[in-house]
Amino acid sequence: MIKVKVKCFSQVRYALGTDELSLELEVGTTTVELEKLIREKSNGNLEGLNLRVAVNQKYIPEERVLAHDDEVAFIPPVQGG
Amino acid sequence: MVKTEIINGPIDFFPSEDHRSQDGSQLVFNGRVRAMEDGENITALDYEHYEGMAEKELYQLSKETAQKFPIHDLFCRHRIGKVKVGETSLHVVVWSKHRKEGLEAISWFISELKKRVPIWKWAILEDGQRIPSKCDH
Repeated sequence: MIKVKVKCFSQVRYALGTDELSLELEVGTTTVELEKLIREKSNGNLEGLNLRVAVNQKYIPEERVLAHDDEVAFIPPVQGG
Repeated sequence: MVKTEIINGPIDFFPSEDHRSQDGSQLVFNGRVRAMEDGENITALDYEHYEGMAEKELYQLSKETAQKFPIHDLFCRHRIGKVKVGETSLHVVVWSKHRKEGLEAISWFISELKKRVPIWKWAILEDGQRIPSKCDH
């Protein structure tokens, strides 16, 4: 098993009701699989919302196998300015 | 040169720097909080950010802008936390030889900032209710 930290912001935090999750995942779990899990945890509250993936504070354009101690964020549309 | 900061509190504007002799153009953009949000009166916007990543993305974007356009300097301060109506949430200064490259650079920079830098905002209504901001202009 590996442990990862999921940081939650904006609509994701609202949907999950927390700033951060600590999860134990099977070795080999990917970002796509984790996103599916996060969407399931939100009970449909993230439906239709486009999320970008960041691992260790960098956007990841493609699916990636997660590593122990990774920090992951599913980033809803940003609104700076 | 680029300088970027994310600040929880009022923004100090960058100075005019009258000693500059090679820059014919100084562009200053101040993004301010409007009183209306999606047809409703608001008192403030509350900005949140992904601490660490937002700072890195803002700095990286500023460097990319300075490489993509023939400008001399780009300075940016973005505020987080509660920003009242009328106050500045985003302050950008671009120095360049001529205005054309400066205008193109500042426009591209702000457009990209709104796509890439992990910052979000909530609108505070007059009754204190906090709702997600729908403004992405």
